[in-house]
This record gives sequence, C-alpha cells and structure tokens, in this order.
Amino acid sequence: MSEKQLSRRKFLSLCGLAATGAALAACAPSPQPTAAATEAAPAATTEATAVVAATPTVAAAVAPKGGATLRYWDGWSGAAETNAWDAITATDEFKEALGDNQFERKENSGGDEALTTAVAGGDPPDTASNFQYLDFMARSMCLPLQDYVNASSVVKQADFFEESWKEGFYKGTQFGIPCYEGFFAFGLFYNGALVEKAGLDPDKPPVTWSEALDWCKKLTVFDSAGNPTTIGLSPYTTEGAGPWTSDGWMVPTSWGWDWFDETTGKFDLNNDKMIDSLNTLKQFVQFIGPDKVAAFYNVSGHDSWGGAMAAGIEVASIQGYWIAGMMAATAPDISKNCKASWLPVPDSRKGVRVQGQRGHLFTIFKGAQNPDLAFKLCEVLQSKPALDAYFKAEGFLPSRPAYVTSVDTSAAPGLDFYVQSIKDTTEWHRPLACEITTYVYDQYTALYDQVNRGTMDAKEAAAELQKRCETEYKNQGFAS
Amino acid sequence: MAKEGILHLSYQERRRLARGLIFVSPWLLGLLLLGAYPLISSIYYSLHRYDLMRPAVFIGLSNYTELFTTDPTFKQALVNTFCYVGIGVPVSIISAFLAATLLNTKMLGRPVFRAIFYFPAIVPATVSATVWSFLLNPQYGAINATLRAFKLPIVPFLTSPTYAMPSVISIAWVWGCGYTMVLFLATLQDVPRELYEAATVDGAGAWHKYWNVTIPMCTPVILFNLVTGLIYGFQDFTFLRLLTNGGPGNATEVFSLELFKNAFEYLRMGKACAMAWVMFIIVVILTVLLFKSSARVVYYADTN
Repeated sequence: MSEKQLSRRKFLSLCGLAATGAALAACAPSPQPTAAATEAAPAATTEATAVVAATPTVAAAVAPKGGATLRYWDGWSGAAETNAWDAITATDEFKEALGDNQFERKENSGGDEALTTAVAGGDPPDTASNFQYLDFMARSMCLPLQDYVNASSVVKQADFFEESWKEGFYKGTQFGIPCYEGFFAFGLFYNGALVEKAGLDPDKPPVTWSEALDWCKKLTVFDSAGNPTTIGLSPYTTEGAGPWTSDGWMVPTSWGWDWFDETTGKFDLNNDKMIDSLNTLKQFVQFIGPDKVAAFYNVSGHDSWGGAMAAGIEVASIQGYWIAGMMAATAPDISKNCKASWLPVPDSRKGVRVQGQRGHLFTIFKGAQNPDLAFKLCEVLQSKPALDAYFKAEGFLPSRPAYVTSVDTSAAPGLDFYVQSIKDTTEWHRPLACEITTYVYDQYTALYDQVNRGTMDAKEAAAELQKRCETEYKNQGFAS
Repeated sequence: MAKEGILHLSYQERRRLARGLIFVSPWLLGLLLLGAYPLISSIYYSLHRYDLMRPAVFIGLSNYTELFTTDPTFKQALVNTFCYVGIGVPVSIISAFLAATLLNTKMLGRPVFRAIFYFPAIVPATVSATVWSFLLNPQYGAINATLRAFKLPIVPFLTSPTYAMPSVISIAWVWGCGYTMVLFLATLQDVPRELYEAATVDGAGAWHKYWNVTIPMCTPVILFNLVTGLIYGFQDFTFLRLLTNGGPGNATEVFSLELFKNAFEYLRMGKACAMAWVMFIIVVILTVLLFKSSARVVYYADTN
C-alpha cells in the first residue's frame, strides 16, 4: 500500500482524534453573558408616585437593556403557585419592569441542596424563594440590598412589620426584604364543628397548655383496637415546631424567651422554660402513645402545614395565618367551621397574648447575572396587583400592616383572628438569626422524641441540646 | 537485550502506543476528572472547614477527632450501620443461596419462578421504596389495613424504633436478593457433574452432596457476594433516606445518611469528606479481614 493512500488503521486513528476533540470541545464551558451592573449600582427610580401604605406602585423606572433572562427559582410548587405567578406576570407593573427581557420561573424541586449546588458552582439564579435564607446570608452568598432600598421609592421600611423587616438583616447588613408571604406565625386554628361535637365550647378555646391538653384528650378518638382515628392537637406538627428561618420557633414564643443571642452568638436552650416545655408537650404524645402518634402522621403531607386538619383527621393545629386561606381553598367544608385563637402559653403566663412576626425574604445571590432586574421584581412583588394575586391564589399575605388590614377576611374563616392580633398582641417574637438553625432543628427533634418515648429526661435533653448546639456553632466557625 | 522503557521504543511502537492512548483518552479523562480529582479533593477538604460557600479554612485533623469525640450521632450511626450490614448481608446471601438451590432443581415453570425472584431487582430502588412505604403505611397500607380489619393493633413498621430497622433491612433484602440469587444460580450450574457422581458412588446422600460438594464449589462466589454486599451495605442510602430518613429517634440513622446531612443540610462538607474517608478505611479493613479469614474456607478449583 502506498504512503499516500489512507489505510484503515490511519482512518480509525483520525476518527479517534476527531472524536476526542469533539468531546473536549463539548465539555468546554459555554461563554457567559456579559455581567450586569454590580451591587454598587442600584436600580434607578424616577417619577415615583407617593408610596401610600398598602398600595405601593412600581416606580416608573428606566427599563433595563433587553436580552437578559431573569431567573427565579420558586420554592413553592403546585397549581396555586403557578396561578399566582401567571397573574403576577400578566400585570402591567411586571411587564413594565421586565421590559424587553425574559423571565424564567423554575419550581425548585431540589430544595436547598439544589440551590446550594448552584450557588457554590457559580451559576446561581438571580433570586429564589422559600429556602433557608439565613444559611446563605450568613455565608456571604447574597448581595447587600441597602443601596437598592435607599434608592427605591417602593420598598420602604415603614411599610413593613418591624420584626419582619429585621429578619432580612444579618450582622447589621440588609440582605433580604420581606416578600412573597409573611405576616403572623402562631394561632390555634381549630374545627369548631368537631369541637362542638365533642361537647366543648368552640367559643372558649384553650389559652394555656393544660387547657389545650384537656381539649386534646377530649377531641382525640380511638378505634376499637386502640389506634387513633382523629387527634385533637399535636404540638409537633405546628408551624415552628422547631426553629425555622422564616417561621420562628413556637416553644420559645409560647414560653417567652430568646433562645439565641444574635449579638454574642450564645445559646440559651438549657433553662427551666425549655425543660418545662419538653415535659408539657410530651403529654400530648404519651397519652396516645409515641409509636401511634408517629404512625398516625406518617402520611405524606399530614405531618405538617395543616395537612392532617385538611384531611379531617386532626381537630386543631397551631399554624400561621395562611392556614385559613389554605383551608378555604382545599377543604371548604372544613374551613366554614374553622376558628382561630391565641397560641397556648404555660399556666404561669396565662393572659399573655403572644404572636410571631415572620416571613419570607427577597434576596439576590452573589453572582446573579441580573441583580438590578431582580430588584425590580422585588418592587413588583410589593405592588397591590401582585399582593392581590398571591392572596387570591394562595391565601398568602405580606408583612405589610396596611395591606393586611385591608383584605376581606370573610372568605377565609379564622383569618380575622390573625388580623385582629395586630392590635391585641402583648408580646412579640420573631425568627432569630442563628446560622445553624437547621442543625438546632434536627437536634431538638431528635431529643424531644427521646423525651416523648421516655428514654431521656427533659432536663438531660435540654442540657444535651445546649451542648450540641454550642459545639456545632464553634465547629462551624461562627463562635467568636 | 534492549532496555525496556518508553524512550527505547521504536518509532512504530511509539506511534502504536500514542494511538492506543488517544483511544483510551476519553476514559482516562473521565477517570481523572470524575475519579481522581474528587478523591484528592475530598482528602484536602477533610482537613478543612468548608461549607461550599466560604473559602476553606485549614483545621488539620479536627474533623476526624470531632467524629470520635464530640459528634453526638456518629457512634449511633456506626452501630446502626454495622447492624444493617451485619444482619442484612448474611440474611441476603443465605436466602439467595437457598433460593438459587431451589431454582436449580428441575421443576415445572422454573423460568417463571426465576423471573419472579429476580423481578424486584430490576425495579429502581426509589420506586421500590415508595411502594413499600405505601404498603407499610399505618393509615392506609395494605398490611395494616388487614390488621385493622381483624380488629388488631396496627404495626408501626417504619415509625417505631423497634420495628424500623428490621423493616428497612427486610425491604432492602427483598430488593437485592434477586441479583445475588442469579450469581449463585450461574455458579451452581457450573459445579462439575462428575463431583456429584463421585459422591454418589461413595454413598453420599443429598445433604452430604450439598454440604460437601455444592457449597464448597460455590465459596468463591459466596465470598464475592459477601465483599460486595459489605461494600454496598455501608454505602446504602436510598432506602433509608426514603423510608425513614434516619428516624424514628435515630433508630435507622446510618453512616451514609449522617454523611449526607452533614454535607448538604448542615453545610459541613469538610466533615462529610472526613466521614467518607473513615467509611473507606472501615470497609477496607473489613474486606481485608474477610479475605484473610476466607483462605481456609474458600475453595478455588485451580489450587491444591
């Protein structure tokens, strides 16, 4: 064979080379779009109309250059959420803010893990919702928003509940703005018809834990084999059953103490109040049986967020304001009989009316391609049409007193209590900015389970919780 | 004699070598990028405090010492893992071997039975876990519904610390048994017939043939399944995550779950890397012990 002819061996070699080259070329990163303005250039607002309480209008800002895609990862999912966003994106305010750019909303089914990976990998969305905001704020993965806020005629501190506004701060820097939904965390929400059926007065709900336990025992129904078919109240399926960034923690709210000092980084978990709470709440489990309670709630969606109540197998649940709207939307037959009252408190604090301000935050990730456009979205979400869309589709309310007091509460029985509690609350609480909230939650859950099962003493559990949290806080590098 | 070495290869040999390397380069690249790089990175990060977001801070062996001193759940996770592997793997191997023995006999519908035994292994683990969580559900699961119909107390399979681990082991066993059974079946069919004939001539009964011929001839595959079962058992994550997520009360909290939580929930990637290396060392030690102890009991046909 002459040298100039292509042999089979040579042909295969060249194919191999070509394939390798193609594979390497395919693995090369795609060219990134030019970065938008940095955090030092807040969105300009011009001709802002006067912002009046609950009806802010989106400022007639200069639309950003077209061609960008605003990426939003939505931590909520389902038809109601989609409907809310369909309505929001159809508003004039949204279209004006977006301009010639694109908007991409993705339901974040991967949760915090997917978001962490995206942020750590350097390709975060511009903004996201319903995640552990503090985890990212505390690790400098969110942009400071103070300059944006100062320049905005839409986002004003005075329009928000004070404690909700503070939630967006970490070590004095504002990384988040109350958005999506907020308002109040705690109320005893119950099915008045089932209460009456059990021979109790639905207009005299319990205000202390001992009264609540009495209610629970009378409302819980067992079958002939001793299995619970209806549970009166579980303090462990509540909103804030453990500390949560956007919800707060029910136990310290009810017993009235701050479990973490944001300034000094010190935990206060080993105290008489924690011990008393563990001993008090375990009674709700022990009279039924820990295994039976765990088995009862072992249905997807029933172990939290009022799912068991909507299914008609739980009479009362300690939840935030949103449950009224959720119940009206998903279980109207149950909703029509629903009422709400104060979060029970220890007998020693009878008469104290506690409430928790909380909520979700709008944040912009460091490395976001379109931070200015993202802030415009935040402003749109503060507008009345967007607030109305969220309330109509999801029953969500913002952390804005003027808007909250303007809504028609008759469509969601029980909601009136939460609105009224703006005036009647005597003690306010909010979620505390502890950088290891997830860890505290997990350890608290594991330890109270041992207390409920009788394998650990409440005093021992409180001491152990304090020790674990202090050690973890130090090991994560947050202790000074 | 010419010295060996790439520099002493002829031109043709070097070209042949280069062509070979080019053809395997995609695989080599994959090994380096997806194998060697993460491996070396995990050693590096195990010596640092790293949360994926902030720069890594060197802390020496603190992650390792924390595991064995202050970590409140590590020891429990280790105990649970040993329990999971220590019970699950032998049960799986014994039952798979017995099943293979039965399926190796001549009977009507043998292919159908083989398919039935193997079928769970082809169902994805996540699907299997979801189906089992429905079946075992205390409220609407088929098993507890039957108990309830007979006015009996329900059994909280996955929500009681007493029943949770045995339940998960059973589910994993049902899922994994088919694969092991197929390997044993192939081995059983490979046992030389003349050994059985010789045993028959010597007056051996069915049990003696089984004990003295069948099992010894299958010991290499038994060892293989033991080793792979051990390795996969330590790494098992899917069933435990989906069925119990380590609960109730840490009753099913195993190594892999604890590692996942530290890495992605608590953002302690450095500690998670340290845990991964501790797991690796434990598995290596156990594997070496297995191989060493098997020398007396494993029969290889090509050795004396």
